[in-house]
Amino acid sequence: MNYLDKLENQSIFIIREAYAQFRNVAMLWSIGKDSTTLLWLVRKAFFGKIPFPVVHLDTSYKFNEIYEFRERYAKEWGLNLIVGRNEEALSLKMGPEKGKFECCTMLKTDALKKVIEKYKFKALYLAIRRDEHGIRAKERIFSPRDEDFEWDYKNQPPELWDQYKTKTRTEEHIRVHPLLGWREIDIWEYIKREKLPIVSLYYSKRGLRYRSIGCACCCNPVKSNADTVDKIINELKTSRISERSGRAQDKESAYIMQKLRSLGYM
Amino acid sequence: MNGRARNIIIGLDGVPYELLKDLSDSGVMPNVGALIQKGTFRKMSSSIPEVSSVAWSSIITGANPAEHGIFGFTDIPPNTYRLSFPNFDNLKVTPFWEKDNNSKHVLLNIPATYPARKVNGVLISGFVALDLEKAVYPEDLIPNLAEIDYKIDVDSEKAHRSLELFIKDLNRTNEARIAAYRHLWVKEWDTFMLVFTGTDRLMHFLWDAYEDEGHKHNADFKNFFKRIDESIGEILSRVDDSDNVIILSDHGFEKLEMDVYVNTVLIKGGMLKLKEGAASNYSNIDHGTKAFALDPARIYINLKDKYPRGSVDPKDKKSVIHDIIRRFENLLFEGTKVIRNIYKKEEVYRGRFMDMAPDIVLVGNKGFNLKASLASGEIFSKGVFTGKHSQHNAFILINKKELINIPEYPSVSDVIGIINSLNGGGQWKANSTTENVPAGTARP
Repeated sequence: MNYLDKLENQSIFIIREAYAQFRNVAMLWSIGKDSTTLLWLVRKAFFGKIPFPVVHLDTSYKFNEIYEFRERYAKEWGLNLIVGRNEEALSLKMGPEKGKFECCTMLKTDALKKVIEKYKFKALYLAIRRDEHGIRAKERIFSPRDEDFEWDYKNQPPELWDQYKTKTRTEEHIRVHPLLGWREIDIWEYIKREKLPIVSLYYSKRGLRYRSIGCACCCNPVKSNADTVDKIINELKTSRISERSGRAQDKESAYIMQKLRSLGYM
Repeated sequence: MNGRARNIIIGLDGVPYELLKDLSDSGVMPNVGALIQKGTFRKMSSSIPEVSSVAWSSIITGANPAEHGIFGFTDIPPNTYRLSFPNFDNLKVTPFWEKDNNSKHVLLNIPATYPARKVNGVLISGFVALDLEKAVYPEDLIPNLAEIDYKIDVDSEKAHRSLELFIKDLNRTNEARIAAYRHLWVKEWDTFMLVFTGTDRLMHFLWDAYEDEGHKHNADFKNFFKRIDESIGEILSRVDDSDNVIILSDHGFEKLEMDVYVNTVLIKGGMLKLKEGAASNYSNIDHGTKAFALDPARIYINLKDKYPRGSVDPKDKKSVIHDIIRRFENLLFEGTKVIRNIYKKEEVYRGRFMDMAPDIVLVGNKGFNLKASLASGEIFSKGVFTGKHSQHNAFILINKKELINIPEYPSVSDVIGIINSLNGGGQWKANSTTENVPAGTARP
């Protein structure tokens, strides 16, 4: 079997397994390349008709291209779309200039908490990948979160020989990561094979492209002339720049500030 | 190990002399108590300002801030109002282990050593370290650390929501630190330096639990120190009498009575102006600003030519400094003087990087916690913290009694010299360029 088929089969198996186990589930769709790939796999798993909602956490600061893509494909693919917004924080004018970390916490984390509270989801599908970031290397495919969203990675059920541990204490919600084993390049190879539509921000314009997208204010493009999927794949084979480099700098400062603030500085 | 005596340096971040004495006397820390009986125990003065990044930088280099270039957790480079965060790359002089490449060093969790860089041995950075992958040298240790769930720092955010969750995470982080030390102990080394930083975090949030026997977290507080003492006992059981054991803190701690917002004093005095309607951050410092402060109480004159909207002509600098000093001398809270010491930079700093130094540094009187936040409308207020750093009462404890050359009241920048004299030689030459300078550590 071709390795993309293997990845696809495994992901679809996880998606179906989690649905059978939890029923009241939802999927997070950031509209980036990974979660759009996941959405594609979910559609395949359920033969085009997804039996649960797709949640977009809308900070209101996303790129226009992201909103356009969302509207177009939510309609085309018949999604049951939930847009999660922290209206309370937005009405108080929460934004990155008030502190990027605070902004992320209020408009993403808290917005998600509100959605989970409202719909009482037992499990959420996320499109994170192990190779994205150091800490994600410790993630499990089925990853429990406590009431404070805390990931107690010491208290994780082992997943030996791909025996996924889907059973858990009832008060938590479970994060399901069907793409955990995929690499950035696998995503692009798959996008190519499936001819998947992807937000145009990923393709080079005037020598710049985004490798990772989120809020317009907090993402920087990388230098690149890759304006097609093939060229992107080629670029990834030689690049030594990390995928999230365009998002790291502000986050680092924001993280330090948050650490210092929690100890009473600043 | 070249048959030489080994140096074991154990840091207890923020632990004051009096607390260590008290917990030893009351039996919470029996191993430390025995060592105090047997060895040399002195009060030590911290750096100015008394924050960990500055003090540990002085401890590992023997230099004062104008020599090592670290004046706080934050800085504002000239020609900008952009807040920056100095790290190990900004340290201008070499720490002891880089001057002694013939010996092997294990360096675990020393604050202000991030990002990690090459060493003859092992370096695992301490606070503020962002990413474990950049905090570990050599890299091949990362899987071992992951295995023991090593965490650089407790998530202090938790304390703002739930002290129970915070204590749980604090203990978990500390256990991982202990597991890391055990893992590294069996390696080959001449110097083993380990800093416990959970002590500082605990005292920030739960100093009241220490002072109040009836506090519901009193036992949690004591148990944490008990666990530190057990680890020290374990280390002591693994060394012999010829080895040098140095236990020390970087600053002291005391009860926090009141937070004092230095920038609010300047704003209310018309000396600091922020742009109308903009967020309260340094990039919005407006024309007409005479001075601004960075944490905890470092005051910089907003000089023309030095800052984008500099408003003070160099010839007026003296009178502006005079004006600021007068304001803080007279600052009272319910009749009590708030500021203990006001230092002009020439009084406490000496070195190549005087230009980077704050023009004035304040040290608060007992209980007054000086802060530089721009966003507080009030000069005085009280937050969630119950303990604060103190400048005068860090400590140093050494397992030897007959010591050559330890000052009666040493400062953090004397530590390298003290260790050198223990080793009977000078292989860890301090970076100090001048003799007997106050070294950022004027003694009150």
